Order: sequence, then C-alpha cells, then structure tokens
Amino acid sequence: MAALADRLSDTFWRRPRLLLALLLLPPVLWLGVIYVGSLFALLLQSFFSIDEFSGLVTYEFTLKTYAELLIPANFDIILRTFLMATVVTIASAIIAFPIAYYAARYAKGRWKALFYLGVMLPLWSSYLVKLYAWKLILAKEGIITWLLDSVGLLWLLDKILTIPVIGGPSLSVSYIGMFLVFVYVWLPFMILPIQASLERVPGNLIEASGDLGASNAQTFRHVIFPLALPGIVAGSIFTFSLTLGDYIIPGVIGSSRNFIGMAVNAHQGTAGNIPLAAAFAVVPIVIMVIYLSIARKMGAFDAL
Amino acid sequence: MGHPMATAVEFQNVSRSFGTIKAVDNVDLAIEEGSFFAMLGPSGSGKTTCLRLISGFDQPTSGQIRIFGEASEGVPPNRRSVNTVFQDYALFPHLNVRDNVAYGLMVKGIDKASRHKSAEDMLGLVKLNSFGDRKPGQLSGGQRQRVALARALVNKPRVLLLDEPLGALDLKLREAMQDELKSLQQALGITFVFVTHDQGEALSMADRVAVFNEGRIVQEGTPSDIYDRPINRFVADFVGSSNILAPDLVARFGGGNVWGSLRPESIRLTEKSAIVRGAVTTSRYLGAGTRIGVMVGETEIAALLPTGTAVPAQGSDVGLTWDQDALHLMGQG
Amino acid sequence: MPSDQRAPLPLKLFAIGGLLFLHLPILLIFLYAFTTEDKSYQFPPPGLTLKWFGVAMGRPDVWQALWLSVRVGAIATILAIILGTLCAAAVSRAKFFGRETISLLVILPIALPGIITGISLRSAFALMDIPFSTWTIILGHATFCIVVVYNNAVARFRRLSGSMVEASSDLGANTFQTFRYIILPNIGTALLAGGMLAFALSFDEVIVTTFTAGQQQTLPIWMLEELVRPRQRPVTNVVAMIVVLVTLLPILAAYYLTRDGDNIAGGGK
Repeated sequence: MAALADRLSDTFWRRPRLLLALLLLPPVLWLGVIYVGSLFALLLQSFFSIDEFSGLVTYEFTLKTYAELLIPANFDIILRTFLMATVVTIASAIIAFPIAYYAARYAKGRWKALFYLGVMLPLWSSYLVKLYAWKLILAKEGIITWLLDSVGLLWLLDKILTIPVIGGPSLSVSYIGMFLVFVYVWLPFMILPIQASLERVPGNLIEASGDLGASNAQTFRHVIFPLALPGIVAGSIFTFSLTLGDYIIPGVIGSSRNFIGMAVNAHQGTAGNIPLAAAFAVVPIVIMVIYLSIARKMGAFDAL
Repeated sequence: MGHPMATAVEFQNVSRSFGTIKAVDNVDLAIEEGSFFAMLGPSGSGKTTCLRLISGFDQPTSGQIRIFGEASEGVPPNRRSVNTVFQDYALFPHLNVRDNVAYGLMVKGIDKASRHKSAEDMLGLVKLNSFGDRKPGQLSGGQRQRVALARALVNKPRVLLLDEPLGALDLKLREAMQDELKSLQQALGITFVFVTHDQGEALSMADRVAVFNEGRIVQEGTPSDIYDRPINRFVADFVGSSNILAPDLVARFGGGNVWGSLRPESIRLTEKSAIVRGAVTTSRYLGAGTRIGVMVGETEIAALLPTGTAVPAQGSDVGLTWDQDALHLMGQG
Repeated sequence: MPSDQRAPLPLKLFAIGGLLFLHLPILLIFLYAFTTEDKSYQFPPPGLTLKWFGVAMGRPDVWQALWLSVRVGAIATILAIILGTLCAAAVSRAKFFGRETISLLVILPIALPGIITGISLRSAFALMDIPFSTWTIILGHATFCIVVVYNNAVARFRRLSGSMVEASSDLGANTFQTFRYIILPNIGTALLAGGMLAFALSFDEVIVTTFTAGQQQTLPIWMLEELVRPRQRPVTNVVAMIVVLVTLLPILAAYYLTRDGDNIAGGGK
C-alpha cells in the first residue's frame, strides 16, 4: 500500500496535470455536465412551443413561446414580480443602511461581534420558519392586530387594507403583507454587504469632510453614500434576484395573483406547458444577467 | 585523506526557459563535496531557479543535473538526498518545534522514541535545547531559522540548500548567524549551497562563489578571486564598491587598453611618487575610516583612508598611489 | 471606518431596534410553541403549556421527516465537503484554463432561483432514469452545498503558504503524506465550518427539495404542507422552534471555528 502511494505520488509529480484532472473530475462532471447540461436543456425548451391541440411539445425552433410572454395575462405576471422586487430592494436598502452604518462605524469589540452574529443567525435561519412566523404575525388574530388595537389604531389597518391592488382581506393575504415578509427575509442579505463596504471607508475621511466645512448631510451625500454604493448594489443583487425567483412567499401570503416563480411552477407540471415554464424561467435569468453586468461596472463585486 | 573530493552537484549545460524567457541560460557548475558554495546575484538572475533545480521543485528544459554522480531527472524532491531551508522558513504552524524537526524522520517511518531523540540532539546543535515544546508562532525570527535548519539537517542530507537564509534577520543577528552557519558546515562536513543577493554574506561564508547575472554564471571562484580579480564591470560593481576605470585611464596607469578595477582601500595618499593627482571633491566619515572622492579628469576615484590618516580638505590637490598589482585588469568588459 | 465619537442616539436606537426586529418573529414562534390556544396565533396567548411538545413527539410523521432531514443533511454535507475541497484544492494550487469559471460553476446552483435549479435537476434525473428516492434529495442538496464548503476551503487554502507544502515534500513526504500531515490539519477547521453551514443550509432547504423528493417529506417539506394545509398549528410551532435551535448550533460553531481568520464562515452566502 505504501509502495503504491509512493508510485502514485511520483506520477503526480511527473504529471501535475494528472493530479489536477483527478481533483476536478468529480465536481466538474457533476456540476458542469449534469447540472449545467440540464439547465441548458431546460432553457432550450423555451425556444420550442406547445401544440395547442395535442398538448405535446413541438421540437421546432420558434419564438412563439416568448411571444406568449407578452400577452397581458403573462406580462402582468412579469411586471408584478419586477415591481415587487424593486420595491423590496429599495425598502431593504433604506432600512438596512442605518443598521449597517451603525455596525460599521460605532460598534466596537464585543458589540461588533454581537452585531455580526445578530445578522448572521437570521441570515442562515430557516426561510420557512420565518415565513411561518410572519403568517402568524400578520393573521387577523395575530400580534399586529393586537398591537394596533391596543393603541386604538385598528381602523387605520382596516383602511390600509381597503387600498386597491395592494390591500386585501387581511394582512396575511395581501401585497403589503408580502412586501413586509420579503423585506424581513432578505434584510440580512442587504445589511452584510453594506456593512462590509462601509467598513472599508477610512474613518478620517468623514472627519476630513467635516474639517473642510461640510455639513452632516453634505458629508453623507458626497462621501459616505458614494463609498457605500457598491455594497448597496451588491446587497440589491441578492434582494432583487431572490424576489424575482421566489414562489413560496407569494403563494402563502399572496392572493391568487401570480408571480414569475409561481408561473414557472404551475406550467412545469406534467400536464403543463414546459416551453412556457422555461420561457418564464429565462426572464429572471436575463434580468439578473443585465443587473449583474451593471453591478459589476459599479464595482459591486469587490464588496461581495 | 588524499582521495579526490567527489562532485556533490554538477550542472551540464543546464537551461530553464519559461516561454521565451531563459531564467537559466546554459549553466555549467561543479560543486565540490563538503564545500560551502554561494550563488550570488541580483534578483531575477537565475540563482534561485538553479537552487530549485537542485531540490527538484523545478525541472530543466535542457541539460543534465547530477547529484553525487546520479542523474536527477525523474527523481522527485522527496526522494532526493537534498534538503532545503526555505526563505520564509516554512515551519509547520500546527506542530511544535520538536515535531517540526522530526518531521522528515516521521514520514520515513522511524519510531517516535528514536526520532524525538534525534530531534532533540539536532536542536542542541543549533542551540535551541529547551524549545521542543514551543510552537513556531511563539518563536522569534532567528529562532525559527534555526528550527528550519535543524529540521533540514536531522535527515542527514548530502546537500543542504539555503534560500536567502539570513535576509529576514537584523544586522547583528545576521552576522552572528553567518559565523554559526560557517562553523556548523565545517563541523558536519555537509555540502552547503546557499543563494543570496548580499555580497558581504557570500564573501564571508563561502568557499567558492558563483556570480549570476541574467541566467548565466558570470564568474566563479573563491571569494578573493571575485573580490580582487573581478572578470568584468558587472562583477566588480556588484561585489563591493570598486573604482571602475575606463581603458584610457588604465592605459595611463600603465595597464593597457582594457577596463580595470581598483579597490578604494588599496589607494594611499602620497606627495612624492603619485601615480595620479586630483582635487578632493567629497569626503565621508565612516567610523572605520574616511572615504574621499578625488576627481581625476572626468572620473571620480574613491579612496578609503584608514582612521588616523589626516583627511585632506575639500578642494585640495592630492596625490594617489597604489601597488602595481592592486590595479586589476578585467579580461572582459 | 471606526469613529471615536458616540453614535447619535436615534441611529443607535434604530440599529439596535432593527437587529431586534430581525429576531423577534422567531422569538414569537418560541412563545407560540407554549400557547394553550389551539388556533395558536392569538396574541396574547391565553396561557402557557408544555403539552404540545408531547403531542409533537407523538406524531410519527414529524419524526420521519426529522430523521430524513438529518440523514439527507449529513450525507449531502459529506459529499459537499469532498467535492468542494477537491475544487478548492485545484483552484488554489494551480493555474489552468477555465479557472475562473469553476467559481462561477460552483455558485450557480445557489445563485439561480431555487425553482430553476430544482426543475433542472428533476429533468436530469428523469433523463438518467433515476427514480426519486432519498438519494435524489441528497444529490440535489449536495449540488448547492458545494459552494459553501468551497468558499471556506478556498479562503483557507489561500492562507496556506506554498512553501509549507514544498517543505513537506522536501523532507521526504509523498503527496498523500503531505495531504494527511500538513494540508489537512491546516484546512480542517475551515472544512468543518463549511460543513456545518452546509448542514444548516440543507436542513432548511425546501424549494429544490420539493422537486427532487418524490413522495418523501423532509422537515421543511412537512412544514410547507402545514403552512398550506394546517393540521395542528401548535405542533408546527414546536417543530419550527426545534428547527431554529438545530440550525443555530452549527452556525455558531462555524462562526467560532473561523473567527480569527480574515474570512468568517458564512459572511457571504
């Protein structure tokens, strides 16, 4: 056995490429061939179409399926998802920024570790548990109702729920509710990159700005914000992409209206329209590719 | 005694190219067994590459390398009877000093008791007797270097390679280590090959020196050969601060129409039988002496005056003389 | 960018408030696990009791789902550690054509929306004629867990000095001995940390799992069922609490294992 090990070791020294190939073969085979292969196969399907009468897939190259995406019912889905992703991203950025700013600038020593863990644990915590928790919180008999009731603002909630489009029978079945849950679940993803890029700003820059006569607001606008921007963009990659592809939250806390993820899910079943499902799936991928290339130009990748 | 010394390491027409760049260019070398051999040169001159060719971490693109007569081609580093002291010492942070030193014995399968004993003996040799239980992170630079040395030597290699071993140490420590390395080598009788860009180190420790430039050996010889009789301007310039004199000056001094070198310390001030006269332009007190610059025509000649000699005032006219054989005529340019 | 001044009070309050906000919903679940009320999300809870823990323990479907999640998590983690370390070793130690694409390849399963990864794997299994079983779940999880181990391993490999590996070889060790005595001890904690995060990730995952699972239920799938068609809400609360606690431990462990490095495990998901 030892002799074999020695012989093999010699061979690896003589042919380092052999060792490299052996190291890479299992993972690349699995990921590159099988995973990416089936990914392509799936996306390729978007260029096929489904025969309306037989319900079977016609394996001919066509853009008909993509055209189907443009019909109002489908396009609405895309638009809705896109809007929700945008709103969630902006809100997350606004809420995350002060938290990240405090953690980067003022938290020291034990507090810093506490903040880090405090953001890390929810980040890795179960997505479903969080969703479930919010379902309970938003429920009619849940804590929000109780809170508002005890300060006498229940009428406000009822009023909000009557707002068309984003309202609904209850918070737990409405766009507002969905929005709250999305922001909550993705917030840690936004906090960490912003904090990372803020930490890279040398403290004396802010002092220098004040020294040169800038007010706090000016310092923020001209010094802090631009330097934090890559982090914000990096975080937005997460929030945007995760919202675009999610199908569980809209299903659990949504009304019957569809989101992209749900549409993909609905169409991909055996009785469904796989080309259409694939076409829907391509949409978030394309959006994210565009978004990512813009983000890269803004230097967001350095903040990751 | 009386039998010829074997050749520990031999390079025959060895080249190592990286694409179009020749890091090592047709090098011939013969390192005698039991000698302390220095490879000296500026960074990028190919000396470190040559070291790696001996240890086996790099392969020549052409030519042959023999270690004690055996061709090293196809022999991996772990099978060569060569050990290396790396520039950054490369101690294993997760093992204590004793296990670091005993590592080479451990992978050969030697039992714990024996290898610990050998390790302790070697630690004694490098004067780190009670350090066995410490971790590398707890040691100073000089101590780490000695552990690296012990770790290499415990395997009784036939050739020990040292890659810029003293570079990271401060001046006092460096000088102390130079003495220690020299006496260690003489006591053990192992062939030491070390790489350095510091000419002072090379001259003080080595038995023979090879000066590298741009992948080639420019001159090889004893420290005295290199210092007193540099073969060309590069060597003269690199190894010590010599006066490099253009052919016309050399001809004036009776040397012929070649480039020459003249060590500042061989020049004396004189009034009567001066070989040349000039005006003093600079004067710098060095503690051990004073270095003055004397303008002769277009060339400033440096002279080192020992302490006690009267230092002439700036601008005064002085006469310089030297022994005939102090002016070294360089064969090449 | 540390500052010596004290933070403005509103900022401090908002930051701490925000942090608490992140944790409160989960703590609420803990509270609800003890409520006496059957419908369970009534606030404030009318009373507190431990009885739901007993009920939860008595439910065979809960145990089955939990056991499946643990099994899947453990094996997927081992696979992810092996594959992730292989990739990381190759990428850190050599320059080769396509090196940057490896990083992209590894992150793809987790970067793309879960539903796309799920469907792709499902069709791959169908194509290769592999029936749905525990193994398809495991393979699916291993696929997106690789990146977690990979990131940790690459960061640690980067800190491993190349000359240490050469020194080992110089002293007579062959490739395998060098791996066992020098490389492994130095990357061990990074692999462990990556493995813990991979386990946590696998334990919580639901989207890809629904596509690769067939008839079986991992714990998250069980929870999803309960979300949509609730049987006994309080039992769900208890299970949720257990899930949070089970995943809390590996995360904390991973943090402490890599705390002194410049790359803290989990910092970039």
